[in-house]
Formats: sequence, C-alpha cells, structure tokens
Amino acid sequence: MTADTSRKTSPSKAPFLSLDAWAVVIALALALVVKLGVLRNVPW
Amino acid sequence: MATSTSLPAVERANPVLTALGIVPGVLLLAGIGYAAKILERSINTYAKSHHWTFPNIEYVLWAILIGLFISNTLTIPKVFQAGIDTYEFWLKLGIVLLGARFVLADVLKLGGISLALVVIEITLSLALMTFLGRLFKLKPKLTSLLAIGSAVCGVSAIIAAKGAIDADDEDASFAMAAILALGALALFTFPAIAHGLHMNDVSYGLWAGLGVDNTAEATAAGALYSDAAGKVAVLAKTARNAMIGFVVLAYAIYWSSRGQAEAVTNKAAFLWKKFPKFILGFLFMSLLVGFHAFDKSQVTSLGNLSKWAFLLTFAGVGLRTNFRDMSKQGLRPFIVGALGEILIACLTLGLVVGANRIWGL
Repeated sequence: MTADTSRKTSPSKAPFLSLDAWAVVIALALALVVKLGVLRNVPW
Repeated sequence: MATSTSLPAVERANPVLTALGIVPGVLLLAGIGYAAKILERSINTYAKSHHWTFPNIEYVLWAILIGLFISNTLTIPKVFQAGIDTYEFWLKLGIVLLGARFVLADVLKLGGISLALVVIEITLSLALMTFLGRLFKLKPKLTSLLAIGSAVCGVSAIIAAKGAIDADDEDASFAMAAILALGALALFTFPAIAHGLHMNDVSYGLWAGLGVDNTAEATAAGALYSDAAGKVAVLAKTARNAMIGFVVLAYAIYWSSRGQAEAVTNKAAFLWKKFPKFILGFLFMSLLVGFHAFDKSQVTSLGNLSKWAFLLTFAGVGLRTNFRDMSKQGLRPFIVGALGEILIACLTLGLVVGANRIWGL
C-alpha cells in the first residue's frame, strides 16, 4: 500500500529547482550579500 | 566510487530532512578541504624554517589525496553519502562565482578561442572514439556514451545522453567508470607533462579544459598548475559544456532514425533542456563585473568564495574515486577509453600549441 501511494505521488515530488538553478540562485544571493557589505573581505 | 554517480532521482523526500541529511557529508568535505589548506601551509612553513628543498604541494592535491585515501582504505558510513554527492553543486556554485573574476572582454576573447578549439576537439574525439569502439567490438550504445563522455563533458554528458539514446544502465555505468578513472589519472599526468613542456598558464588552462573530461577534474587539473591556469581551464571547459545539447541531440536523432530511441519532436526545447544553465549564471556574473557592479575588494571576496566552493569540490573528487569499484566494471571499456583519452590529450595539446602560434596566448 505504501508503495502504491508513493508511486502515485512521485511526479509532484520532482525537485523545486534544478542543481544548476540552485547554484545560480545561491551565487547571486552571495553576490548581493557581498555587494550590500554584509560579507566583507572574505579570507582565503 | 562509480556507484555514487548514479542517475538523478526524481523523487525527493521532505526538504527539511534532505537538507539535514547532507550536513554530515558537507562537513566532511569542508573538513578535508580545510585540512588540505592547513597541510599546504604548515608543510611549506616547516620546510622553509628547516631550509629543506621540498616541492610545493598545493591544497588542491592534498584535498584530492586525503579524499582518495579515505575512500580507498575506509568504508565511508552511509550518513555521509548525501553530503558527499553535493560536490557537483559546489563545483557549479564555484564556477558561477568565478564569473566575477573574468572581465567580459576576456570571456569573449578566450571563450571564442576555446569555442573554436572545442568544435574541432569534439568532432575529432567523436570520430576517434567511435572508431576505437568499433575496433574493440564494444556495444554500439556503449561506444556512443564513451564518445559523448570523452568529447563533451564526462559524467553529465553521459547522464544526459543515456535517456536520449535509450542506453542501458550498465552501459552508462561502464562509460562513467572509464571516464572517472581516466579523469583521476589526468589529474596527475596533465600538470606533470605541462611542467615538462614549460607551458604558460593560458596554454595549459586551455589544454586542461579541452583534454580532461569531467568538469570537476578539469577544474582541479587547472588549479593544480596555477590559479590563473585554473581560471582558463574552467572557461574552456565551460565552452565545452555549452555544446552538450548539440552533441546529445545529434546522437538522439541518429539512434531514433534506427528505431532504437524515441524521436525528438521539439529540437529547440531539447537543446534548452540539455543546456547547462549555470553557464548563464557565470556569464551574468561576468557581465555584472563588466558594469562595475562590484568594487575591487568585493570582486576579491567573490573570487575567494569561489575558491572555498572549489575546495569542497576537490575533496569530493577524491572521496568519490574508488579504484576497487572501478575495476569491477571490466577492462575493455577502460582500454578503449584510455587509448582514446591518450590520443585526445595529444590532439588537444597540438591544437593548443597551434592556437598559441596563431593567437599568441
């Protein structure tokens, strides 16, 4: 029964964003944080 | 760890649980990366203070070596696996952030040269791998996967092509194992050969981007030579990745014309679906820097964030390379792959030397 339920619901469980999209979104968010001066002089 | 490069799952569990599930593995990646940085610094300091002549081993190599040691001598508990698999996310994040360190004019110039070389490299690589696959009597679809993997961008290209040409899981695993094993070897051979040939950073970066198949390994092979070579390697590899849709589309049309794969009805939609979108992020970041959206210290910060993301990737490259698992995949695909890769490495080296003479890289 459990297996049947999961099979029916699986299409709606597709990822919200692809890996590429996540990488771009997080990179832009980091760029914004750096631009606003919240994150400064990141060391290496 | 060839098995860890499994095809992406469609189903996802609760997002909160998924996020928590990756924490141990990400901490392991970060721990290995940071240990690599500390090792590089402390060994250099120790050697200098004792007046030793000791080769400078970069953090990139330490991260890979520590990862290789762990994955090939210990059994990594399952709890770390989900986090280790995020190495590809850190790679893409690092590439997008690296866009901030490129002026758009450089991207257009070097990217243009890379693209011209990429077209030649892809054409010759596909022809060569197809010839070798037939010579060694490999299954035709396995030959196609090996050809796509070695011509374009390793594992991602094989995953993209697998569904499009309706290849077996087993063939995809063979092809991925061969590409990953050869990528691991390239990490050590490419920088050594380049040092022997006294190549400059741009030439070597182009060669690593064109000749090393998997994006993570190409990035690491570039960074192992120098920071500047690493930048160029990423740019050349990105230009190569951009071609993935065209190559997979050509193979999909070929196999559907033989009635062995589904027909492609909407080619434009197919190309967009297969196009690696993070490349757009990389270009956008470069465009922002071109419009002076960031000052100098902010660009440095973004560049350093990119390095941190790559550090986690390099640790992941070592951790997911398990030679025992790879050896189980059989010798013939590996021999075909190895022969092809050696010839492609020579060919791309010739292309880069030629480009250097024409454009003065």
